[in-house]
Amino acid sequence: MLFSKLFVLYVLLVLFRSPLFAADVPDLEERTREIASELRCVVCQNLSVADSPSEMAQQMRAIVREQVQAGKTAEQIQDFFVSKYGEWVLLKPKTTGFSALLWILPYVVLVIGVIAALLFVRRIAARKKLAKESTVPAPISDQTRSELLRQDIEIPDIEDNSSRAELLRERARLRSELTELDFDYQSGKLSEPDYQALKRDVEAKGAGVIQQLTALPAKTVTPATAKAARVKSVKDAPAPSRFRSWQIVTGGVFLLLFGLALGVMLTKSIRPRQGENDTMTGDFMTGTAPANSEAGAALAEGKQAFSRQEFPKAIEALKKVLATDPDNPEAHSYMGFILMQAGHGDGALLAFDKALSRAPNFPMALWGRGMVLYQDKKDFAGAREVFERLLKLVPPGEERNEVAKVLAEIPTTSGMPKPSSAVAPAATPSGQTISGKITIDAKLKDKIDPQAALFIIARSAAGATGPPLAVKKIDNPTFPLNYSLSQENVMMQGTPFTGKINIVVRLDKDGNPTTRGAGDLIGEYKNNPAEVGTKNADVILDQVMQ
Amino acid sequence: MPWRRLIISFVIIAPILALLAFGFTRDAKYITSPLLAKPATPFSVTLFEGKNITLEDLRGKAVFLNFWASWCAPCRAEAHDLEAAWQRVKDKNMIFLGVALQDSDQASRDFLKEFNVTYPNGKDESGKIAVDYGTWGIPESFFIDPQGRITYKHVGGIRAALVLSKLEEAAKSIASAQEGRGDYQGVR
Repeated sequence: MLFSKLFVLYVLLVLFRSPLFAADVPDLEERTREIASELRCVVCQNLSVADSPSEMAQQMRAIVREQVQAGKTAEQIQDFFVSKYGEWVLLKPKTTGFSALLWILPYVVLVIGVIAALLFVRRIAARKKLAKESTVPAPISDQTRSELLRQDIEIPDIEDNSSRAELLRERARLRSELTELDFDYQSGKLSEPDYQALKRDVEAKGAGVIQQLTALPAKTVTPATAKAARVKSVKDAPAPSRFRSWQIVTGGVFLLLFGLALGVMLTKSIRPRQGENDTMTGDFMTGTAPANSEAGAALAEGKQAFSRQEFPKAIEALKKVLATDPDNPEAHSYMGFILMQAGHGDGALLAFDKALSRAPNFPMALWGRGMVLYQDKKDFAGAREVFERLLKLVPPGEERNEVAKVLAEIPTTSGMPKPSSAVAPAATPSGQTISGKITIDAKLKDKIDPQAALFIIARSAAGATGPPLAVKKIDNPTFPLNYSLSQENVMMQGTPFTGKINIVVRLDKDGNPTTRGAGDLIGEYKNNPAEVGTKNADVILDQVMQ
Repeated sequence: MPWRRLIISFVIIAPILALLAFGFTRDAKYITSPLLAKPATPFSVTLFEGKNITLEDLRGKAVFLNFWASWCAPCRAEAHDLEAAWQRVKDKNMIFLGVALQDSDQASRDFLKEFNVTYPNGKDESGKIAVDYGTWGIPESFFIDPQGRITYKHVGGIRAALVLSKLEEAAKSIASAQEGRGDYQGVR
């Protein structure tokens, strides 16, 4: 009995309580979503808090949910966020205060537009009416009428095809038509309004013919000259303009200003992206620093040329950047790397110092300065100081590990670097090489230049944009060619030949490592990056530089 | 008559162009805080050493409140300056409080160890403190006077000299009219 009562109670609970309970959760989520969809995410600013996947939006959603649960209204929750972030946080601006303008203005513009459209339509209708009225021919003067009805008119020869003859015949025809009209009217065949309308029409035509006859020279003219004269008269007549001068001036000025606004603003705000994390508007839209689109484009060009090892081209582009933005830290840093690679330690140091004078924490310049002090100047204390500073600026990650690694290698006292980073080939473990075979694609064999030099280029997979890690040059190569790269081929003394490395091979026609020209053959290890120790990093030269 | 029409046209066109030009000069990402000269929202944060601290506990002192994260480069750039400034004022009636956000516990601790940060630091686990202070680009620093009112806000990295001068102002309850800006990184 007790069991059956409990069962009934359970069934009632299931039937009545559960649906209510179940309805609470979706309602809370729906309400949260509804309110969050009205709030702007502070990270992805064009998305609502409801739609943004960012961590901050998640935290904001949690706050919304908490406040909904606490029984706050949508308005109270919105007010809370407005009190923290300002009205910026609302995707729909408020309808009060200054924001009310945003709501009112479109309607004001709409009303003005409708009124303007109505006025325009009215004006067009008035013009059409006027035009229609003006098509009714005006009564001609008595003098013209008597001229048209004159009896002693000249009758042209029947074979005369000149325009004068044609006009004379037309005048005779109109005269007779007018006489017939008079006769019909007098005989009651035509009503007064019809007679008047037709008479005005014929008289107008007649007046036109008489006017043309008066304008013609007395002598007989040939049809060809008459036609030419007609064409000329049409050409000489000024074409009636559809617009008034003030409208043309206003339109012109507006177009000029609009063009200037677009030309100046857009070219300033849009530029080529300079990296993965860069935006096409650069600093212009964020206002953090004056941006120069020309300098930005030149910098991008310089960086690309640098990464392709086209150093003369890179220098040209970087010079362009420095001509417009003399303190550009990135341009100075790249200049520094190029000078460093060319063995000009002092020049490189100067370039890095220039970059650091503008941006004291610029990581690239700090890295370059540290390397010059360490490798070229053997100023280990100075290099340590720079790398320690850089280490503090770089967030944890691969780049930071790289800095830490170099820092660990720098001796604490003056002298040569630690043996671990020694560059002597003897110190290199025998396994620390990458070797393989270089062949040429059968289709490209006829493109081999006998004077060409082969460059085997190794780049660290971690720092793909910097200078190459190691390069080996082979003059007058014969294929297939076995190669190996090791510590002795590294470009900067002391840099360890370790880790994952991208192998690229180029058969350079002019033998100059800093230029890449059309006709050079290139290829890369198909499983790039290769781990140091790989013995079959084979490369096929299968592409031709365009 | 034509001149009148010309002037009317300009009166209509000029504001549209001015609005367009104004829009281009604005930093669309920047969010101006409405919190300047307003009472600071009370909060409670658990410090990395385990102790709990509330804003109420700091009443009567000029407070420097700094939001940071170990993954934020500008936070790293300012870390030394903040510690140097703290060393200058730690014996005065002033207090520094760092609040890590959107960061792992270990990464935050490593950051503090790396920069030898000695002033109190805690973690905003839920992000509520960050939202209460309208945080969007870190580092973000707030200066709070002894009565608990925000006197200055700085978005981005800040130098020691500015920290010291703004703390002096906060101690005297002098509120700045505008917030400051440095290199910042958006929150995640």
